[in-house]
Amino acid sequence: MEAGIRPPSHDSVFLELTRSICPDCRRLLEAEVHARGGKVYLRKHCPDHGEFEALAYGDAERYVEIQRYNKPGDRPLQLQTEVAEGCPRDCGICPEHKQHTCLGIIEVNTGCNLDCPICFAESGTGHQPDGYSLTLAQVEEMLDAFVAAEGEPEAIQLSGGEPSIHPQILDMLVAAKRRGIKLVMLNTNGIRLARDPRFAPALAEIGVHVYLQFDGFKDSTQLAIRGRRLQEEKQRALDRCAAAGVGVSLAAAVERGINDDEVGAIVRLGVGHPAVSGVFFQPVTHSGRFLEFDPRERLTNSDVIDAIARQLPGWFRHDDFVPVPCCSPTCRSATYALYDGDDLVPLPRVVDVDDYLDYVTNRAVPDFEVRTALEGLFSAAAAGGTERTGERLECVACGVGLPTELRQVAAKGFMVVIQDFQDPYTLDVRKLRKCCVAEIVPDGRLIPFCAYNSVGYREQVRAELSAAQNNGAG
Amino acid sequence: MSTGPSLDVLLGANLGACCASPYDSAAVRWLLGDELHPGGAALTRRLARLAGLEARASVLDVASGWGRTARLLAFELGAEVTGVERSAQSLAAARADADAAGLGRRVRFVPGDAAALPVPSRAFDAVVCECALCLFPAKPAALAEMRRVLRPGGVVAIADVTAEVAALPAALRGAAARVACIAEALPADRYEALLDDAGFALRVAESHDGALAALAERVEYRLRVARMLDATGDFADAIAEATELTREARRATAAGSLGYRLFVAARGP
Repeated sequence: MEAGIRPPSHDSVFLELTRSICPDCRRLLEAEVHARGGKVYLRKHCPDHGEFEALAYGDAERYVEIQRYNKPGDRPLQLQTEVAEGCPRDCGICPEHKQHTCLGIIEVNTGCNLDCPICFAESGTGHQPDGYSLTLAQVEEMLDAFVAAEGEPEAIQLSGGEPSIHPQILDMLVAAKRRGIKLVMLNTNGIRLARDPRFAPALAEIGVHVYLQFDGFKDSTQLAIRGRRLQEEKQRALDRCAAAGVGVSLAAAVERGINDDEVGAIVRLGVGHPAVSGVFFQPVTHSGRFLEFDPRERLTNSDVIDAIARQLPGWFRHDDFVPVPCCSPTCRSATYALYDGDDLVPLPRVVDVDDYLDYVTNRAVPDFEVRTALEGLFSAAAAGGTERTGERLECVACGVGLPTELRQVAAKGFMVVIQDFQDPYTLDVRKLRKCCVAEIVPDGRLIPFCAYNSVGYREQVRAELSAAQNNGAG
Repeated sequence: MSTGPSLDVLLGANLGACCASPYDSAAVRWLLGDELHPGGAALTRRLARLAGLEARASVLDVASGWGRTARLLAFELGAEVTGVERSAQSLAAARADADAAGLGRRVRFVPGDAAALPVPSRAFDAVVCECALCLFPAKPAALAEMRRVLRPGGVVAIADVTAEVAALPAALRGAAARVACIAEALPADRYEALLDDAGFALRVAESHDGALAALAERVEYRLRVARMLDATGDFADAIAEATELTREARRATAAGSLGYRLFVAARGP
């Protein structure tokens, strides 16, 4: 062979063409998804602000492989907007969206009893000239909008700010329960639970599931993410929930180099604590307030799964984590572990989940009832330890020949979820259009969570609400 | 001290190797899972591909069990499948599932025995037999029957446990091992010789020992869940015995004395 002149090769595999935004000026940009060095990156070019590249998924092989978990979405009963400027400017939900809302979020205030260095909602203590606090009537209207869109909504989370300091938070939770929403959650930092002995019993009486911020045990973790030591209050909050019979999911914001070495310890605490039925790991969303970071080195779902498998080798391995089919399969992965205080067995070790949740290949589904139950378990609306989760685990068990007594163990079926929310660096409208987590806003729109945090909706809504409140007050 | 039933009693293994009924036992279903054979649906697809099954092929599934393979071949390949099965309970379940899947017209199940298939001669393009030939006491007779019902040029597609029985530990030669398809299994070359004797020309033999090890592992996890359910410890002995069996099976697979293999062979003229 004679040496010829060959055109230079690209250093990556061009997988997808999509749309994103400029993290600086938020203008819409064409974006490319590439695989390089075994990882997946989102690349875009802003004419004013230059090149941006962010890690989208830490394992290219798995990224490609799990696309078949992409379940065809359901249409909501009601749409709130029309297509005008194009995705992601018309949220929502607009007719281009591919999925209904599994989980609705209402941020009842912007005030907080912490000033965390990391906060996508940019909440804080003290007077906020641009802050707001919703009224009970507003929250009821938003709940009604959710019910109108969904019929029988699966799950709602009241959030903030810090919702537990809203004077009418209990009435708001009751209002959600009264509308028949199956899973009503309070997203809280736990400070009120720790300080106010009446709060956990009040939540128990309403039937609220607590989604408790819990980032790790090290002082350095708490100082970096929350700005102060919180360990004692977290522990007291958990113990109060256990005493009152309130179910808890731990929610950890995970940042590389800060607390990614603590994911195993968090799972171990959760499995051992009587109140805790699950752990949600969320790689830090780099919108609002966040620490300095390199978007090409950020954590993704596969990195968190790797960390769990590495830190708990006796309990979990990679293939125990199932891509959740209701959203884009690279956004959320989950597993359930059967646990009896001594031994722990992840559900996918005894049920071939893969046989049921492949939506792309033309395959014979072994049993549709089992598939439906698995879809309910591996959904953004699921939480561990709830009655519905127990029923679905029982259905799966029965459908694959496991004895129905499994329900007693399944009641302790511990859920581990990894959810990567998008930010202005990683926003990919292909994933966004399948998003099933939505911010409900006072005018009745349901805005997909990652669009709300990245595109500018959060700022718009906050400005409108604070202006209205300031005018009302004046 | 546990006074619970022995593993043999739980598995129904004392009913004898020639009887299909152990596979109706809840305990067996619970341990082996809903596929009853190593490799699950993925290996069934592989077998169908090796056999070159095409749409509208007429296929006979010998020992069709709960009908999963028949449904898969009908749904994914568009084959016309007849399943033959001894157990009335399995037949009923298979029919109900095929109807529920809307496959009632492409899949039918008939009661019958591998040694005397209740179907006409030269009627099928392919015969499929997954993890069942090893159970038949009269293997040459079963293969002769498969040959009879195939049209000339038709293929037989067999998936089965292979075993160097003499090299296996005693635990894997006991009664419980019969349910796990081990006790009556043959070495790979014996299956090939039987196929040859029956007038088949071997086309493909493919080893899938990993699928057997994976099934043994899954059974071991199911036994761990069983132990969680057995709060009173009544079944502790049987669970411990079964766990040891799965470990022996994994060791034997790693050592090469136990395996799983796909064979595709064509009927001569």
